[in-house]
Amino acid sequence: MPPQAASHPENGAVPAPAPHLGWGEGLARFLLTRSPLGLVVRWFASVPGSVHAKLLCGFMLITLVLIAMGATGLQIIAKMSRQSQLMHQAHDRGTWSLQMEHAFAMQMNFTSLALILKDEATIARILRENNRFNNTMARIEEASPPEERELIQRIRTAQEEAMTTVADIANLVRDGRLDEATKLQVAKEYPLYVQIEALINQVVKIEQDKMDGLRRSVAAENQRALILMGGFVVASIGLALLLGFVISWSFILPVREAQGFLGRVATGDFGARIAVPNRDEFGVLADHLNRMSRELQRLHEDQRAAARELTTLNEKLKRASMAKSEFLASMSHELRTPMNAILGFTELMLDGIYGEIPPSLKGPLTDVQANGKHLLRLINEVLDLSKIEAGRMELSLGEYSARDVVETVTASLRSLAAEKGLEFSARVPEDIPPAVGDAKRITQCLMNLAGNALKFTKEGRVEIGVEPKGNTLLYRVSDTGIGIPQDQIGRLFEEFRQLDATVAHEFGGTGLGLSITKKFVELHGGRVWAESQVGKGSTFFFSIPLRVDKGRPT
Amino acid sequence: MSAKTILYVEDNEFNRKIVRDLLARTSYRLVEATDGEAGVTMALQESPNLILMDIQLPKISGLDATRRLRADPRTAQVPIIAITSYALSGDDQKALDAGASAYLAKPYSPRELLDLIRKLAPES
Ligand SMILES: Nc1ncnc2c1ncn2[C@@H]1O[C@H](COP(=O)(O)OP(=O)(O)OP(=O)(O)O)[C@@H](O)[C@H]1O
Ligand SMILES: [Mg+2]
Repeated sequence: MPPQAASHPENGAVPAPAPHLGWGEGLARFLLTRSPLGLVVRWFASVPGSVHAKLLCGFMLITLVLIAMGATGLQIIAKMSRQSQLMHQAHDRGTWSLQMEHAFAMQMNFTSLALILKDEATIARILRENNRFNNTMARIEEASPPEERELIQRIRTAQEEAMTTVADIANLVRDGRLDEATKLQVAKEYPLYVQIEALINQVVKIEQDKMDGLRRSVAAENQRALILMGGFVVASIGLALLLGFVISWSFILPVREAQGFLGRVATGDFGARIAVPNRDEFGVLADHLNRMSRELQRLHEDQRAAARELTTLNEKLKRASMAKSEFLASMSHELRTPMNAILGFTELMLDGIYGEIPPSLKGPLTDVQANGKHLLRLINEVLDLSKIEAGRMELSLGEYSARDVVETVTASLRSLAAEKGLEFSARVPEDIPPAVGDAKRITQCLMNLAGNALKFTKEGRVEIGVEPKGNTLLYRVSDTGIGIPQDQIGRLFEEFRQLDATVAHEFGGTGLGLSITKKFVELHGGRVWAESQVGKGSTFFFSIPLRVDKGRPT
Repeated sequence: MSAKTILYVEDNEFNRKIVRDLLARTSYRLVEATDGEAGVTMALQESPNLILMDIQLPKISGLDATRRLRADPRTAQVPIIAITSYALSGDDQKALDAGASAYLAKPYSPRELLDLIRKLAPES
């Protein structure tokens, strides 16, 4: 027995408890753990050879037992038929002997009768009986075994003597010498008869003894055959059961083992291993499974390491992004303070606080103011975007009027529209309901869209409007400007996205307006989209819930 | 009636100068402080008719200073204009919550500031 087989019961070679343990299963477990059968099963499993060869060997073994049983059976049948033949022969010889005795007795009778009747017919009968005797005798002689030959010979000698005597008696009777004949019969034929009778009895006795012996030996043979056949039956059934058990469990155990193993792997226990003593296909399977499990574990560990790395990287990135937005927030104040001074002093100068300014300075000072305001807008946009991206933009929600929003935008853009010679109109329904949201941001969004519309329109008109649509407010800005190619519309809302460089150059801007608009609209739980036709104009929409909830995630 | 006093609490010299120059032509008297703590002290000392309070200040912030002033009965009623930083969204609300009467985002237009001052503390 391989030494490792003994150590298996503890480390899981015995199947894990099946869901419902039938009595058959219980018995199998008992046999596997408490009897040497468990060791046999493992030994059989560890025999090198294919499953096919093992099954074939098992069946061959049982077949051999059955063949042996058949051969033995045939042998027994042959022996029994020979014995019954012997018995037949002995019986025949016994019968013939008795016939012989009978024939001799008849011969005696007819001899006596001939002495009385003195006719040829009776004498002829004597001779006939004598012939019968001889015929039977010849048959016995032929069939008798050697040990009886001598006895038969003595009977023949006595019979021949009796024959001669009968012939003499017959002649004496024919001659009418009856007294002599009677004397001869009494003195010679009768003793011969007694002698022959004794001899025949001896033969009969021998045959009977033989028959008795044969009968006994047939009975013994019968018994032996019964035992032998029973033994064979028991042995073949036992062997079949044993082989069935050993072979099937030597296959079932690794399958169960693999099943449990795969179950563990399925629940994420990578790197689990199975120990299977089999050195057949199942052994190969187990090796493959173990290899697979090792590989899985390796992959799992690699993946975990990668995930850890990613997490730390992500953490770092998050910290970096936080630092960036913090930096930008403080930059906001730092940038705004000098901007305040620049714009403030410019305005004071233009307002004549420091005295009347020469007309030649008015233009340059106005340029300083315009560029300062532009710079300020850029700063605001960049800071807004970074705040939104850092997730730190908070809406300050409050009740507001959509009409005020539209009016603020039209008021601040009216002069620009007039300068460009564009028709500029606003449309707000009379019954527009009061809304809740961050008015400043919504104004900023509408301002961006309207600013774009004016910027990208050379002639025609720009229309802005708002209307209630179910639970939302739908803001709209349409223009008769240059338009946007269909395939570009979606991308406009990405940061720093401007249509081709020449357009960007011609009209200026940084490409932040729409992305900030989109983010503010989404912060409100709304959405923004556009429709456009190149050369004909564009319409930008955004819809915002009429009443934005407090506590919306920012 | 004597001239109204306005206190401007602001750490940046140039921004103080803008307001100084702006008010030079008016009847308002300007007193200045450069940090939150000095601002509070100055407010109690000068009893101004209006306070301009920058939100980001050294020592204590404009919000804290506003709260302190509101907590003191002597200054509880004085109008305070908070000068907020535009990008720090929610500053406006925080300023109002702290007790400011109005707010103005930086950079402000001096003209608008003067309008607001005149609204809250009319020139005598
Ligand atoms: N009404 C419009 N008609 C035609 N093109 C437009 C219109 N609105 C936006 N676009 C296109 O979308 C691009 C992005 O617009 P966005 O407002 O984001 O940036 P910008 O106006 O170029 O710069 P910024 O608004 O930051 O100053 C614009 O550059 C322009 O190409
Ligand atoms: Mg724009």
